[in-house]
Amino acid sequence: MRPSVALIDYGSGNLRSAEKALARAAEEGATNHDIVVTSDARVVADAERIVLPGVGAFADCMAGLSALPGMIETLTQRVLEQHKPFLGICVGMQLMAAVGREFGDHSGLGWIEGDVVRLAPSDPSLKIPQMGWNELSLSREHPLLSGIAPGAHAYFLHSYAMRPDRPSDVLATTEFGGAVTAAIVRDNYAGVQFHPEKSQVVGLRLLGNFLTWRP
Amino acid sequence: MIIFPAIDLKDGSCVRLKRGVMSEATIFNADPADQAKRFQQAGFSWLHCVDLNGAFEGRSANGDAVRAIRSAVELPIQLGGGIRDMAAIETWIEAGIARVVLGTAALRNPALVKDAARTFPGKIVVAADARGGKVATEGWAKTSQITPSDLGRKFEDAGVAAILFTDVDGDGLLQGLNVAATAALARAVRIPVIASGGVGGIADLKSLMAAREANIEGVVVGRALYDGRIDASEALQLMNGV
Repeated sequence: MRPSVALIDYGSGNLRSAEKALARAAEEGATNHDIVVTSDARVVADAERIVLPGVGAFADCMAGLSALPGMIETLTQRVLEQHKPFLGICVGMQLMAAVGREFGDHSGLGWIEGDVVRLAPSDPSLKIPQMGWNELSLSREHPLLSGIAPGAHAYFLHSYAMRPDRPSDVLATTEFGGAVTAAIVRDNYAGVQFHPEKSQVVGLRLLGNFLTWRP
Repeated sequence: MIIFPAIDLKDGSCVRLKRGVMSEATIFNADPADQAKRFQQAGFSWLHCVDLNGAFEGRSANGDAVRAIRSAVELPIQLGGGIRDMAAIETWIEAGIARVVLGTAALRNPALVKDAARTFPGKIVVAADARGGKVATEGWAKTSQITPSDLGRKFEDAGVAAILFTDVDGDGLLQGLNVAATAALARAVRIPVIASGGVGGIADLKSLMAAREANIEGVVVGRALYDGRIDASEALQLMNGV
C-alpha cells in the first residue's frame, strides 16, 4: 500500500492548491505518497504523515478542528506519542501554539509554548496583513530546509504570527518591521507561516523535504 | 484563488487594449519592470504577461521587457503572446518563465501542445478564447467550433497544466467576467481553469468566489487594477479568504 499524507479538511478554505502542491512534490521526489484530503480522524490515524492547513481566524480554525470527531485526540496521539511527521501551514502552524490572541485569547493545540500575536511592524508604512513574497532568514540547518538557499523568498499572507517561547523552536524568520517567525520545528512536528503551495520552487522543495523527512 | 495581475506589452510599454484591438491601446507604464515591482509590492503572488506585438507577429517581440521584468521581481511569471514552437517555449522556460501560455499555437498545432506538455509538465497553459459560447478549434476537432468544455477535455488529455479561459467579447471592456461559462468549464475538466476577460470591479471577483468552484485556480485582472476600479489589497484579501 502506498504511504499516505493526510491533508486535514476542517472547513478552512480551499485545499486544492495545497493538495496539488503536495502531489507534485511527491511526484518530483518519486516518494510515491498518496495525498488524501480528509475530515476523518481514522484516515489521519492511518496516514504516514499529516499536514494541517488553515486560513482565517485562530479561534474559528480551532473550533473547526475541534468539531471533527476524534480529530484532536488522534492528532495528539499520532504526532506527540507516535512521532508521525507533521506540518502545519499558516494558521495550521499557529494552532500548534499554546495560545492565540486573535479576537481574545484562545487555547491552541499547545504543542509549542508561546502565543500567536498580531503583527506589529516597527515601520508604520508596512500594512497588515503582510501579503506577498518575502525573504527567509534561516535560523539553522535542518533537513526540512535542505536545498533552500539563504535569501530564498516565500509567499506570506497573514496578520498574526507565532512567538515561540523557546528560540530553539524557530527554524526561519522573515523581516517585516522586525523579525517574524516564518518556520518552526520541534522533534517531528513543524510549521510554516508562509504558504508553500504558493511559494513555487521554494515551497515545492520544502514539501518535498517534508515528504522524505525522517525525524 | 490566485489573482494574476496582467502586464500586456506593446512596443516595450505596459498597455491595456480594448477588445484586443491594437490601435486602442492605453499606455499605463512605459517601464514594465517598474510595473512588475509595483504588483509585487502590492502583494500579488503571480504575474501574467502578454507580448502583444508577439501575438500579432507570431514570434516574441518584447523579449527585453520580459527579461527586465524577470530580473526585477521574485514573482513567478506566466507568459503568452507569439510563443508558437518548442524552441520558443524552451527559451522562455530556461529564462525563468514559470508557465508558458500557448494560444494560437495550441489551436493550430495539437502535436506541439502535447509535446510541450510532456517535456515541461506543469508549465504549459493553453488559452481558449470563447465567443458566443464557442471556441475556435483549428486542428483539435473536425468542426471549426465546439464548446469550451469539449476543447478543454482535449487539452486535459494532452497534459496541459491549466486552461486560460477568456470571454473575448468582454476583454478590456470591464463588462464583467463570464462566471457561469468559466464555472461550467471548470466543472467539465480536471485541470485548473483561469478566468480572464472583462473583470471590471470587485463584484466580478466576488461572483467568481461565490461560484465556489474549486477548479477555478485564479483570475487575470488587467485594466481594472490600473485604473483603480479594483484595489489590490482588498482584492487579494477577498480572494485569499483572509
